[in-house]
Amino acid sequence: MAAPILPISPAALPSAIRPAGAANSPGGFQEVFSSAVQQVESLRKDASASVGRFLSGEGEELHTAVMATNRAELSFDLFLQTRNKVVSAYQEIMKMQL
Amino acid sequence: MSLFSVLSIGASGMQAQRSRAEVLVENLANAETTRTPEGGPYRRKDVVFESTDVTSPFASIFQAQVQGGGVAISEVVTDTSDPERRYMPGHPDADKDGYVAFPNVKPAEDMVDLMGAARGYEANVAAIGAVKDMIQRSIDLLR
Amino acid sequence: MLDAVAGQLERYMDLLSARQKLVASNIANADTPGYQTRDIDFQGEFHAAWRGAPQVQQVAGLANKNDGNNVSLDRESRLLAENALRFNLASGLLRAEIQQVRSAIKEGQGA
Repeated sequence: MAAPILPISPAALPSAIRPAGAANSPGGFQEVFSSAVQQVESLRKDASASVGRFLSGEGEELHTAVMATNRAELSFDLFLQTRNKVVSAYQEIMKMQL
Repeated sequence: MSLFSVLSIGASGMQAQRSRAEVLVENLANAETTRTPEGGPYRRKDVVFESTDVTSPFASIFQAQVQGGGVAISEVVTDTSDPERRYMPGHPDADKDGYVAFPNVKPAEDMVDLMGAARGYEANVAAIGAVKDMIQRSIDLLR
Repeated sequence: MLDAVAGQLERYMDLLSARQKLVASNIANADTPGYQTRDIDFQGEFHAAWRGAPQVQQVAGLANKNDGNNVSLDRESRLLAENALRFNLASGLLRAEIQQVRSAIKEGQGA
């Protein structure tokens, strides 16, 4: 006699795509994402402050303000590209569900 | 510490050397002038250099560091020593003893000094040029 | 992301700027009576952990002229050229690093 058919259980989603409520699993995507946002924001603030100091003549060197701007821009670009990737990967997976 | 302040420093140096050169040229031009509107022969002049702060129109009034390092002519000193007297009885400015009072200008010294002023001026121009280039390189980092 | 070598290069450029400012002051004051040449200990400051403004110091081995001034226009002119060249080199290297990171980010686009 064949073994009894087990009831179908819901497909187990990998923890990365768990709905927003289940946030703080260590190494979870949510955490990585928000720390990246924080870093981008912090670099943006630094750049803004540095440029402000330069413009108001407080003795900030031009190359310091320029480098702070570059760092902010690069971290933002990286973040943007990463986010785009994640979004398109998510969309791929959503298509698969059907 | 801004590089931009160097432009003001260099400019102050150029101005000071130029004033020095002007005074020297005046001395040389009047090396034989026996008659001046104030009476008496031409009296040679000297400039005195002094370190100063430089202000830039873009500097903040809250600036933590004093922008020292510039230079200015603090005064123009007129020589008050006795003029050189030469015995020239036929000269229109001769006094009753036949002596004419001539300026105390030493042309050879002032010529050498003038060359020094020119060299100093050029060095300041070079400083401004070098720093302008450095600032431009900083701007290029944005591209 | 940019921090290891770029941090060093930025510090290098900071020190070169500070030094160039002193060179310009020395040149402007080459004929000021009593003025003493000013400089920084470049290597010392570069290798030190301290990241603030460098310390200004006197220079050893310069002769005083009659008016108490010890500025040597030869020395200052040489330093002027050298500082500018090193600064341009550092900014060039920094620029290359930035472009490298930019390319790496763009590389990932559309992959």
